[in-house]
Amino acid sequence: MKTNIKHFLFLVFLFSVFGVDGAVGTPASPTDILRPTLQGMIDAIRDPALAGAEKKEERRRKIMEIASRGFDFTEMSRRVLGRTWQKISQEEREQFTQLFIKLLENTYVGKLEGYSGQEIIYKDERIKGKKAAVLTLVKHDGAAPFPVSYVMLNNGKGWQVYDLNIEGVSFLRNYRDQFKSILRKNKFAGLVKVLEEKNASFITGTGAAQ
Amino acid sequence: MKRYLSCFILFVLLFMASGCAEKNSNTAIGEVPSAVERSGDELDMLLDDDFLDDELSAEQDYYDPLEPMNRVFFEFNDKLYYWVLNPLNKVYSAVLPQDVRFSVGNFINNFAAPVRLINTLLQLKLNDAGAVLARFVINSTLGVYGFGDVAWRELGIKPREGDFGQTLGYWGVGEGVYLCLPVIGPSNIRDTVGFVTDSYSHPMVFFVDDFLVSAGYYSLERVNVLSLNPDAYEDLKKYSLDPYVSMRQVYLDYRRKKFDHNN
Repeated sequence: MKTNIKHFLFLVFLFSVFGVDGAVGTPASPTDILRPTLQGMIDAIRDPALAGAEKKEERRRKIMEIASRGFDFTEMSRRVLGRTWQKISQEEREQFTQLFIKLLENTYVGKLEGYSGQEIIYKDERIKGKKAAVLTLVKHDGAAPFPVSYVMLNNGKGWQVYDLNIEGVSFLRNYRDQFKSILRKNKFAGLVKVLEEKNASFITGTGAAQ
Repeated sequence: MKRYLSCFILFVLLFMASGCAEKNSNTAIGEVPSAVERSGDELDMLLDDDFLDDELSAEQDYYDPLEPMNRVFFEFNDKLYYWVLNPLNKVYSAVLPQDVRFSVGNFINNFAAPVRLINTLLQLKLNDAGAVLARFVINSTLGVYGFGDVAWRELGIKPREGDFGQTLGYWGVGEGVYLCLPVIGPSNIRDTVGFVTDSYSHPMVFFVDDFLVSAGYYSLERVNVLSLNPDAYEDLKKYSLDPYVSMRQVYLDYRRKKFDHNN
């Protein structure tokens, strides 16, 4: 509620400074916002200076830094934890957010890397109130292109991605059910442990084998 | 004897599929027409989906009291995948090139058109029923026994769906308990009844009355689908913390979205 008032005040401020025309004039579309983020990530994946397994850490750091401009990781973490987010402390929230970002890196970025050298095609965009969805296709030689939709939210700070829909499966919804099942049995500490183990599996190669 | 005949027919059809695919090979077969074509509708669905806007809502949206039993069958299917399905797929994919496998997929889909026709009619969706019928007639003739999807590529008639699980839902039957069935995989009571019922309206029943041939045809369908999405299951396992929960979520979500979308 408090943040809503803040956003409202911020909007009032914007309107008073730039006038109605300035604020409504030519708002950047969700696709306009998404495109440089994804292109930056793809460029980093393609960058020969960052290629190879030994450069993985450096490459991933670069990719995730670019991603953080277009993705709202805190919003994602809040939504994926649901009710539990309210119950845990600020430190635990930060700890969880870091683990969840790492999971996103291992799964989504890992998947994108598998399609490196390919292009992203922007197929469609829809806006509904504060939400928008952008459909992209990741083209790949010799295989069917895989569709990724980005669900974005405009919380006053511009459009930011808060959910990915890969081949029809919502990233947040899928992980939320898994987290819920783990939380019920093993509480927050158990979830942290499982997340750490999963992330580690991508380093040791049991998960990263492709 | 009858079984050998059926196998022979199947072989001939596969052979024709390869010939057909060669002719069509420049029409960008790997383009997943359905996924692209339905993009707009899918985006609308994503936006209408406000389940996460309020973190307190929708705490439990599945009913899985049989989880312990389901998990046993999940493990069984997992073994089945690694020991049987995946090795079969390796051989199958090595023997048949991808465009042939696409054509086989088209054939299998086209052959099941009567199931879709009956169910679109039972759901009173006359437009869809008309499209199903038109596609079946066009693809069975111009598309050479359904190996090519001429109706979609040349005439723009999109594939429609309809199964008895959806029909039951349409008439108000709830989905019931979640089930993970051995061999068949994720389902629920409603879709299991639907699956069995649909198998009786499948034309296969009228051609051959032999369980092994039917099972063989079903296996071909499974392996063909797998061969076109070879990473799907292994990705699910690799990316999830609890593959059983992940698969349950994917299945129920997929079926519900499809249902909401069609009604």
